[in-house]
Amino acid sequence: MALENMFICIGCPLGCEVTLTINNKGDVVGFANNKCKEGEKYVLEEYRNPVRTLTATVLTQSSSQPLLAVRTNKPILKTILVQSMTILARTRVKAPVKMGDVIVPNLLDTGADVVASSNLSSWTKNEGVVF
Amino acid sequence: MKLQDVDVAVIGAGPAGMAAAIKAKEAGAENVVIMERAEELGGLLHQCVHNGFGLLYFNQDLTGPEYGHRFIEKVMDTGVKPLLETMVVRLTEDRQIGAVNIREGYITFKPKSIVLAMGCRERSRGALNIPGTRPAGVLTAGTAQRYVNVEGFVPGKKIVILGSGDIGMIMARRLTLEGAHVEAVVEILPYIGGLIRNEVQCLHDFEIPLFLEHTVTRIHGEERVRAVTIAKVDGRRNPIAGTERTIACDTLLLSVGLIPENELSVMAGIRLDPVTGGALVDEMRQTTVSGVFAGGNVLHVHDLVDNVSWESELAGESAAKFALEEKPQKQGEISIKAGTNIRYIVPQTISGQRDVTLYMRVTEPEEMVRIKVGDIMTKGIRAVKPSEMLKIELPAETLKKLKDGTKEIIVDCEKRGGK
Repeated sequence: MALENMFICIGCPLGCEVTLTINNKGDVVGFANNKCKEGEKYVLEEYRNPVRTLTATVLTQSSSQPLLAVRTNKPILKTILVQSMTILARTRVKAPVKMGDVIVPNLLDTGADVVASSNLSSWTKNEGVVF
Repeated sequence: MKLQDVDVAVIGAGPAGMAAAIKAKEAGAENVVIMERAEELGGLLHQCVHNGFGLLYFNQDLTGPEYGHRFIEKVMDTGVKPLLETMVVRLTEDRQIGAVNIREGYITFKPKSIVLAMGCRERSRGALNIPGTRPAGVLTAGTAQRYVNVEGFVPGKKIVILGSGDIGMIMARRLTLEGAHVEAVVEILPYIGGLIRNEVQCLHDFEIPLFLEHTVTRIHGEERVRAVTIAKVDGRRNPIAGTERTIACDTLLLSVGLIPENELSVMAGIRLDPVTGGALVDEMRQTTVSGVFAGGNVLHVHDLVDNVSWESELAGESAAKFALEEKPQKQGEISIKAGTNIRYIVPQTISGQRDVTLYMRVTEPEEMVRIKVGDIMTKGIRAVKPSEMLKIELPAETLKKLKDGTKEIIVDCEKRGGK
């Protein structure tokens, strides 16, 4: 029994709907409907290890900036994105935070850290007089 | 620095304005100011917490705030003067700027040159004429993005998104991750309005239903949105009777296009391109008003910030040159015209003397095409889509092939094997 999996390749604007056929031992039997070799590479990666960078926000204890933008420092399996959000929902950060600071180390044992992707200063926003 | 000594004034401190100001400074302009109505530099990058920025410019996958941060630091390092919480309200044909801020009230000055970098805004419900009531819960995707990513509110629990632009699809994912349920993304065209990677990673990853060739025909609800009716459309984009279905929801997000913000340009008498909604420019990004340049989304709506930065650097560099030389440059003399299946091309005129990059969009999606630039160049491309901007490099060497006295170059996008 062969199993067919469909993927849309994101390599170029064509967006080929590539069919990947897998046999019952889990081996790749073939590709169909891709217009180039790049499509096969993309589809294999999406089949074996579909990963995404998670980007989100966490709550801060600052009144002038209620949220801090965060990201994973490497892509994680797309199947655990939603579960990861429950960890972030419980996370609170205190100023000061600098871009790149680790907010949640080793998220769900993925080896990826959640890091700040913006700054959170401990002072309130400056009035900004320049001239 | 006194305002009267300003060489280059940049209006807007988003990605376009920052890139233009930095480049103007690097190109030798001494006094560069960047005028911004918000209280900080960076523009909308702060609320774009998703990744995908800088893949081309930095060869790195950055989030919006990370991409912005690199430019903010450079603005500071190069000695560009930010003039924050200052809104430009007047621009004249002789480059007089009028602006207001809370410290000085109304200020006015005349820089040697100006870069327009005001960006764009979203089309709103008023532009769409959707019948129905006027309940709370109808907002643009960008407004929702600000609520969710900056202010800390999720605008609803059951959401329908009209339009499949990139911001709309990105918000579909973001709201899903924040616990809302996105019932549908509804697109009037037979293809999505944004990038393929967003269709896959924002919609398919979360099994969000996409209705192509559908539109919202009615909004229901008195105080709050209660439901929307959607219907299939025919080839002329008119709803087909009998295909309506009603989807219960409490929020309708609109992701239905962006409009370059050109009120100041019009005030200054700058001529606009009716297709792009931005100024008509030459290859140096000079508008029809001498000494006023433009770059980024105020000129034409881009899909990638990387191109916004590059284009605005060109505008900033040209503005610096103009300020230093203090002599009016001429707009290019050869017009670049959109031919078969081309919706628009920027720049609209060139001199024929320098390397030029043509930024363009097609009208209809097509596979296996050939871009023909007059009779001087052809380039094969595997697939083109209206949502993905094309960049065609035209080296000065190639432009030498133009016959003397050429006034117009037509660019076509033809199907290969055809004609």
